[in-house]
Amino acid sequence: MRSFLFLLLLATAGLVVAFAPLPVPAVAPRERSFRIDAQQFAYSPSELAVNPGDTVTIQLVSTDVVHGLYIDGYDLAVEADPGQTATLTFTADKQGSFRFRCNVTCGAMHPFMIGKLTVGTNDWLVRSIGFAVIAVLGVLTLVKRN
Amino acid sequence: MKRSELLARILILAGILLAVGAPLIFWTRTPLIHARMADTGGWNPDVLQAEVGKPLHLSFTSDDVVHGFAVGQLDMEAVDIEPGKVTDVTLTFDKPGTYTFYCTRWCGVNHWRMRGTIEVSGSAVDSGTTPTIPLYVTLGIDIDAPHEAPAIPENRPYAVRGQQLAASLDISKFSSPDFYRANSPYQVFEALASTDLPDFEKWDVVAYLWQSNTTADALTNGRELYAQNCAVCHGESGGGDGVFADDLAAAGEASMQSMNSSMDMAMQTPADFTDGKRMLGASPALLEGKILRGGMGTGMPMWGSIFTEAQIQDLIAYIYSFQFEYQK
Amino acid sequence: MTKIELTRSPFIKTALKSRYPQLTVFIVMLVGYIFAILAGLVGTPVGSHNFSIVFVWIAWWAILILVAVPFFGRGWCAVCPIPLPGEWLQRGAVLAPPEKKPKWLNRRWPRAFRNIWLQNISFLLLALFSSVLLTTPNITGIVLAAMLFAAIGLSIVFERRSFCRYLCPVGGFIGLYSQTAPLELRIKDKKVCAACEGKPCYNGSAEGYGCPWDVFPGGLTKNSYCGLCMECIRTCPFDNIAVNARPFSADLARPSARMDESFKAFIMLGSAMIYAGVLLGPWGTLKDAAYNVGTSSWFMYATAFLSIIFLVMPSFFALCMTRFENLNIFKKRFATLSTALIPLGLMFWVAFSLSFVLTNASYILASLSDPLGLGWNLFGTADAAWQPMLTSILAPGQTLALVGGLIWSGRTAQKAAKEAAVSAIPIIMYCFIVTLAMLWLLI
Repeated sequence: MRSFLFLLLLATAGLVVAFAPLPVPAVAPRERSFRIDAQQFAYSPSELAVNPGDTVTIQLVSTDVVHGLYIDGYDLAVEADPGQTATLTFTADKQGSFRFRCNVTCGAMHPFMIGKLTVGTNDWLVRSIGFAVIAVLGVLTLVKRN
Repeated sequence: MKRSELLARILILAGILLAVGAPLIFWTRTPLIHARMADTGGWNPDVLQAEVGKPLHLSFTSDDVVHGFAVGQLDMEAVDIEPGKVTDVTLTFDKPGTYTFYCTRWCGVNHWRMRGTIEVSGSAVDSGTTPTIPLYVTLGIDIDAPHEAPAIPENRPYAVRGQQLAASLDISKFSSPDFYRANSPYQVFEALASTDLPDFEKWDVVAYLWQSNTTADALTNGRELYAQNCAVCHGESGGGDGVFADDLAAAGEASMQSMNSSMDMAMQTPADFTDGKRMLGASPALLEGKILRGGMGTGMPMWGSIFTEAQIQDLIAYIYSFQFEYQK
Repeated sequence: MTKIELTRSPFIKTALKSRYPQLTVFIVMLVGYIFAILAGLVGTPVGSHNFSIVFVWIAWWAILILVAVPFFGRGWCAVCPIPLPGEWLQRGAVLAPPEKKPKWLNRRWPRAFRNIWLQNISFLLLALFSSVLLTTPNITGIVLAAMLFAAIGLSIVFERRSFCRYLCPVGGFIGLYSQTAPLELRIKDKKVCAACEGKPCYNGSAEGYGCPWDVFPGGLTKNSYCGLCMECIRTCPFDNIAVNARPFSADLARPSARMDESFKAFIMLGSAMIYAGVLLGPWGTLKDAAYNVGTSSWFMYATAFLSIIFLVMPSFFALCMTRFENLNIFKKRFATLSTALIPLGLMFWVAFSLSFVLTNASYILASLSDPLGLGWNLFGTADAAWQPMLTSILAPGQTLALVGGLIWSGRTAQKAAKEAAVSAIPIIMYCFIVTLAMLWLLI
């Protein structure tokens, strides 16, 4: 009976972690502009951070061969030839961490040419850590009972 | 042995032969022209044969990055060549001769060296035209000599104001195309000494004269050509600060450390088209010479076999627009 | 949950016992494998459009790590084409044993190498060069060919499937992880084996060959070294061998105490984390270091790689072992407790692989129609665009795998710790910390 109650507690905690809205800092959305240099096989800068609701403009500057920039989750892409800066403007309405990657074959390590865009907080990571904590607590307590 | 064993062995051998044979046969039987970045081989093969009037079927593939294909002097629409995929092109030639084909998507700092030739044999439909001698040769201009304008305008000259001023001037001899091509803006500025205009107004007239020797369409074409071919080194805003500018300067310095020659003909930072002293002292003929012949080791490519004369004039007109404010 | 004997079903038993279904699969796999070698060597050098890269490192790897290993243990080994040409030569037949057996050297594998250390090394060799291997078709072609010829060579010199058992880089980790799978091959009744004379399951008979994995089926207690080749089912005169479905990670209830297997667990756990950081992270310098083999930055990368796996991770793990009486007990306990890392490592690899498989699976469609990059369009899909798939389920899937793995390894740690009469808490903390690191790297 006590095991059942405990499991119920764990399950509730799990639901809370999964669905409770995380505190969102009240930051007014603004316009953000980034110039990203693309070379074989990295972006510079490779990590961007914006707030939810920001209007983001990315200027992609290819510095050696034709590169692209595709944002996971947003399914947006832009392609730039060297000498012709390409611009991508979008509203960061999805929160979380999104990888962006090159979508124009640019050589051997092309599939691993990756950067990271973080909109607001990476809440899925926070929730995942929460799940991991609950999991460990569950395992530790269950052993004590057995 | 048992029949099942024999059958199984035959199946296995057949399968292996298929797996080995099919790739080998198809690979050797598919003639492809491989495109690679110039540093790792460029075009392979890079010499093609054709006959006048006979369609030439070509299949291209890229072995590394995005490339493109076009034939010089034909003003043809370029086709992209994508890594791992095949692009088919059919060309038909009217005149015999040696044509240059080239890559049309920047693929590294040596992209412009990625060229090959098509040797077209046969007789021409009409008699061929004799090649024209570039104007800078006829005029005897040393395009490698410095061409600094002794004086430059303080502010950007406006062609609109120049047009208004020119209405009340007799400048017919200045506005002819021949005159435009043979003289630098500064030389025209000097020739306007006969008018009693203040300097800045004289420059406005020069700007107007330059604009009158081109059209809006030509400028648009020039802008496109510039973006696709020149901006990489000369910068999207013409400042000589394109993405490869640093590589060229570094290559020049590296080579300077090993030889004692002057810096003039070593790899160097690309020309700054926003530099008035340099640009206003250069005539269209000089610029045409630079574009046609290239920089002889400075890193400036030679475009003579690639661009048509019209394309070069459009490009030159666009380059001057970094100095002059043209009517939109 | 108890075992379900699958071979009780006549359909399954016939399918496994008959050599024909197996041979059909073998032929398909062998033809595909050889085609992959040739495609790598003569096809386009662009990895994403070459059959060898797409079908080995995307399609096959996905099926292996997401389906075959978690659910079928050594199931891939059952259909793998690498040992086949050598084995057919060694046996002198493709189906049932021939009347006249060929005379090969049939030497016994040297005692000193009767462990998985060589497999640890071969996996690490591939891992250190993985950036080049995964992206360059002709390198993949050469490595596949090298494994095939090594297997043939070893079959001619040594007995049984020596390549598979002692050298294959894939077999090393499949064997380790097969202990967690819900499938097994075991004898039904010990007494029958005790009374059996000649042990044809190990020594062969007219019906079939002795176990090519050098395992005595009568003594099989865990999945690690049984390659599910079904020979013993064919040779056993008493029908005493069964294939069972069973609960997950049943073998880990009796954890082994071998250092080679223990370090394999660290190798797999560590390399999953390093790959997640280097290949899927935003740090370009790491990728350059991993790719530019032979440069000083690559040597630093290789040194860091090996240090993490052989020094850092095991040392921290050793700290989790609070008290031990002497070195022997330390080694035994270290090896036993490190079995907790087995389910965790498997889930780390599942989470990591989900990312690049879902991102790049669309290449499979194009490669089916144009495997060599010659401009074919066999099935009309040659122009299929690159498009990441199911991206919305990726992060939840990875979290499920990692947290699930954490729970699984926690439970495994508890059982192992109970046997050793020590506390499981430090081990569970270790698993927790590396899971947090992997979450941070992937999500």
